[in-house]
Amino acid sequence: MPERTSSPETAPRAPHHRLAVTATLGALLLSADLELHAPWTVLFGPSGSGKSSLLRAMCGFEVGSPATSIQFTRIASDGTSRRLDDVPSSRRDIAYAPQSPALLPHLDVGRNVSFPFEVCASPVRDSTVVDEALGLFKLHALAERRHRELSGGEAQRVNLARAFATPGAKLLLLDEPFNGIDRATRDALLPELLRVAAERGVPVVSVTHDVEEALRLEAEVVRIDAGRVMAQGPAREVLADEVKRIAAVMR
Amino acid sequence: MDLAALGLTLRLAFVTTLCLLVIATPLAAWIADAAGAPSRTTRAHILARRIAQAAVALPLVLPPTVLGLYLLLGMGPATSLGRALIAILGHPLAFSFPGLVVGSILYSLPFAVQPLVLGFEGVPRELRETAAVLGASRWTVFRRVTLPLAAPSFLTAAVLAFTHTVGEFGVVLMIGGDIPGVTRTLSISIYDQVQEMNYSAANHTSLLLIALAFLTLLALYARGARRNDGGRWIA
Repeated sequence: MPERTSSPETAPRAPHHRLAVTATLGALLLSADLELHAPWTVLFGPSGSGKSSLLRAMCGFEVGSPATSIQFTRIASDGTSRRLDDVPSSRRDIAYAPQSPALLPHLDVGRNVSFPFEVCASPVRDSTVVDEALGLFKLHALAERRHRELSGGEAQRVNLARAFATPGAKLLLLDEPFNGIDRATRDALLPELLRVAAERGVPVVSVTHDVEEALRLEAEVVRIDAGRVMAQGPAREVLADEVKRIAAVMR
Repeated sequence: MDLAALGLTLRLAFVTTLCLLVIATPLAAWIADAAGAPSRTTRAHILARRIAQAAVALPLVLPPTVLGLYLLLGMGPATSLGRALIAILGHPLAFSFPGLVVGSILYSLPFAVQPLVLGFEGVPRELRETAAVLGASRWTVFRRVTLPLAAPSFLTAAVLAFTHTVGEFGVVLMIGGDIPGVTRTLSISIYDQVQEMNYSAANHTSLLLIALAFLTLLALYARGARRNDGGRWIA
């Protein structure tokens, strides 16, 4: 059973989003009922614990063998519930940044970031979101480069910018978002991304195994193991053991 | 040199290649599941695709005479399809240029479909998945991600279909007969020249075919090599 580590006398939190996912991955049954209390929720856990697969299941991608049945229900903070089991990926209103940058090699950085805007079927026709994302991730100078002309960290920034520039997204899923991005850039980006996510009111769920990243995000942390939610709560509480271990090494 | 045969052969190969690209693109896209993100397909779907793939590849292993025989029967007055065709066209499809085109399309189908299937399957799945979840419909993913990244495969498909049609013999002989200017292609012309013991003429025609085939393949491979140092996605 998921254990809430926050103290019982804490006042009931503000209305929150909920994500309920189940999928089978070989012998592993992924089953998670995530309550998103903070603007940013981090899925934390060892490799192979099913974190990325949870994101993939939410996106509607193949998980495990073909024809696996996947259930996914998204409940918004106003209580409206939407079953997405059979909704195609393109109509799930999800913005997603995969682990590998997955940039379109035939398009330059600018066109990659504006791709979701160009293909979206919704009536949103305000391209400032694209410009904002380019600025947020400091990509204006790279706008005309192709994927092969970018470093790993630069490509990852484009990947994130593209997710942030997706119009009409109701959920932002980031799989190891700071993979390949140097610490200084990451630490400069974190507060900015938090601010933008909070401003838009779009819940962010990211996957990481980096303790410091989770602490800096002041995120709600969901500890995942073997496809299940083991614990959930503020980063300092859920990751207390990891923090102690790091402190012991530093001494 | 049989110039009429040369002209006819090039015309046949050109028309066949155009028709094949139109037919093979959707067929290959379906076999390779190339639209949208790779879908959560059922076993029945996968089986249907494999059956289609095997059927498309049949002309690779069948003697051309087998294909030619059934085409000849199918186009002739013995079948209802053949009678319908005769009623519409006013003459049998066999022993005419359109008949040759139909035969060539079937015979060269695998040479157009297989490079396209490989090209579509070679587009990394995460690119299609990401494009889809970021809002691109199945058709948009196909048009804006799969197609541009598989573009070199269209050149391969076109060149292989063209050169294979230029070189076909059995099917053309079976359904075209050997009518000068109408259905006598270069390969049949060589056969006739040898039958007439005109080895010098046969030699010239053959050399022309060798040169044509070699130059086309050389152009294809040279282009492939140039593309390789540019885009790492292009095989």
